[in-house]
Amino acid sequence: MESMIHDMAERLFRDNIGHGLRESAAAGNCPRALWTRIEEAGLHMALVPEEAGGFGVPAAEALGLVRIAGAHGLPLPLAETLIANAVLARAGLELPGGRLTIAEGASLQLERRGAAIHAIGQLKVVPFARWVDRIVTIAALNGTDHVLSLPVKDLTVIPAQDLAGMPRDDAEVDLVLTAADAAPLPMSLGGMRGLGALIRSLATAGAMETILSMTVEYANDRVQFGRPIAKFQTIQHYLASMAGETAASRAAAEMAADSYDTPAFALTVAAAKSRSGEAAETVGALAHQVHGAIGYTQEHALHHFTKRIWSWRDEFGTELDWTRELGRAALSSPHETFWHFITDSSAQGTPA
Amino acid sequence: MTLTAFPPPAPDTDYDILRQEVRAFLAVELADFPPDMRAKSWNGFSRDFSRKLAQRGWVGMTFPREYGGHARSALERYVVSEELLAAGAPVISHWIADRQSGPLILAKGTEEQKRAIVPRIAAGELCFCIGMSEPDSGSDLAATRTVATEVEGGFRVNGTKVWTTYAHVADYMILFCRTDKSDDRHGGMSQFLIDLKATENIQISPIIDMAGEHHFNQVIFDDTFLPADALLGEKGEGWSQVMSELAFERSGPERFLSSFTLIEELIRLLGKDATEAQQAEIGRLSAHLMVLRQMSRSVARMLNEGKNPALQAAIVKDLGALFEQDVPRLARSLVSRPAVPGGRDSYAAVLAYTELAVPSFSLRGGTREILRGIIARGLGLR
Repeated sequence: MESMIHDMAERLFRDNIGHGLRESAAAGNCPRALWTRIEEAGLHMALVPEEAGGFGVPAAEALGLVRIAGAHGLPLPLAETLIANAVLARAGLELPGGRLTIAEGASLQLERRGAAIHAIGQLKVVPFARWVDRIVTIAALNGTDHVLSLPVKDLTVIPAQDLAGMPRDDAEVDLVLTAADAAPLPMSLGGMRGLGALIRSLATAGAMETILSMTVEYANDRVQFGRPIAKFQTIQHYLASMAGETAASRAAAEMAADSYDTPAFALTVAAAKSRSGEAAETVGALAHQVHGAIGYTQEHALHHFTKRIWSWRDEFGTELDWTRELGRAALSSPHETFWHFITDSSAQGTPA
Repeated sequence: MTLTAFPPPAPDTDYDILRQEVRAFLAVELADFPPDMRAKSWNGFSRDFSRKLAQRGWVGMTFPREYGGHARSALERYVVSEELLAAGAPVISHWIADRQSGPLILAKGTEEQKRAIVPRIAAGELCFCIGMSEPDSGSDLAATRTVATEVEGGFRVNGTKVWTTYAHVADYMILFCRTDKSDDRHGGMSQFLIDLKATENIQISPIIDMAGEHHFNQVIFDDTFLPADALLGEKGEGWSQVMSELAFERSGPERFLSSFTLIEELIRLLGKDATEAQQAEIGRLSAHLMVLRQMSRSVARMLNEGKNPALQAAIVKDLGALFEQDVPRLARSLVSRPAVPGGRDSYAAVLAYTELAVPSFSLRGGTREILRGIIARGLGLR
């Protein structure tokens, strides 16, 4: 797919993200200057409607930015900000600009206080909470989904990180929100768990493509027994397996992205997150096997990518969570046969 | 990395009406077709079924109307194919001709060949087989030794083909053999269109597979005379002609639905009472299936647009074979019910059939090792 915004993002990330920046971010430093460039390019607004400041590109194209960010190991909440802005726009709330993140809000208790809403509870494993201005979440008030825009300065943030050193903080919430920061969600986009699973699947596919090309390059360069190890059939078959798993992950994630904001999304995202999570096992293991000891060091870039894909498996629903959900749907479906369930759960596809 | 990019397939909903028509047809035609017969998947043989399917316009769908086809898209054909496979319909009588021999003749054949053969394929009347492998040429197709020597009025063929599926009932064979000496390993090869019912000195004998089934044959050519007009395409261009067939052969839904009857039986047994662990396994299977279908439909779209997705097709076949071969293991891990060949319990019978069928899935149509070699070359490792 030819895409101007993809080309723009490729250039921006290629020119600005290197091993040093990823190392520094993993040590806890937010690369603020890079965020400024992303914001100047408008990438963080790609998933909102054109009238709200977006590019007017299809959702699947906007979401393609997440795969590209994953391919570069971007240590910033671009994917989270894309989703947060889309959810805020859908609820008719103000788009505050700056870095945002998303969190599953099921654990929050909401109570009406006149025109305002009191939110109390704890948000767990919130991506980049320390580095953002607001956390956008969805929680139920009297059975109706509400979007909440929570200013981080008014929360208690308990820092923690994932395997790759990226902030994954907990946040204590005890806030009274006015109508400016809380509104009902008229048409669901699938809940924060599903949306989070979507961006992690896309980023995983992108990171795997980078892992694959790094591993191909290493195998072609590294000489043992008088020839590049790429010439050994075992190595070739490892890399072919990695390519298959990577292709499946990308197809799965793009299938879910294609059905974003459609009824098919609930099941396609379940397939995407579980399929890419499973692939992360094979791709990570084989990449390290081919790289040998050098790939097991801090100085080599490989670990930034393998740690990311392993961490992302655990966020917004593990393989077990999503396969159970999909299996429950398959086994209790009213369809006459399993096949009819499969054809009905497929993505909408893209018109020629 | 284009190798791992599969562009989105066309919208499924474009073909809802066609899909419902096919389902209604199958509900009637296969009403009494038992699960252990459905388990044979695309290896089930019924000329009668193929003819009836053709009467509905669902054989030779993509062929031009002037050759008896229906000028429909590869994506419409895909819908019909996957519905047939999911139902376990007996399709082999027309399958190979519809999938690759018909398109090959249309692309490379002479006007006479097209007029004589293609309308009969579209009518569901002709069964094709492919004479490719030899005793000393399996995965290494370039080691082909069968030779066609030019003689007055045609060619004389000598050599032996093996693993020729359904040669014992087929009407035609597409033969791949050597016509010239060549320094290029891939040079000097040609393809021939052979009327098996009208050609003398061809000896076809059965090779029974380990499941006790007769699909394979050995085909011996003993100074077999072929008229000059049996040559299909350019003399010496056989290698590239065969390679261009492969994307059609390797990416279709038959590359991941071969065990589908067992999946349906398993899900019927588990039903709504499944445990959480069983749900998770069925969910995993569903995810794999949804993704394979997405990738396979993506390749169908690329083929429809005239691209050559040979690498993507190899990926689909490699992943597809792993998936369909894993189904018996999965079933056994979820249900404790022993396999019984030919048993009255349909699950047990289908499990037995499928267990014995799966080893072939990563052999036929390109072994796993060959596919991974192709993918490795695509990655720039060779």
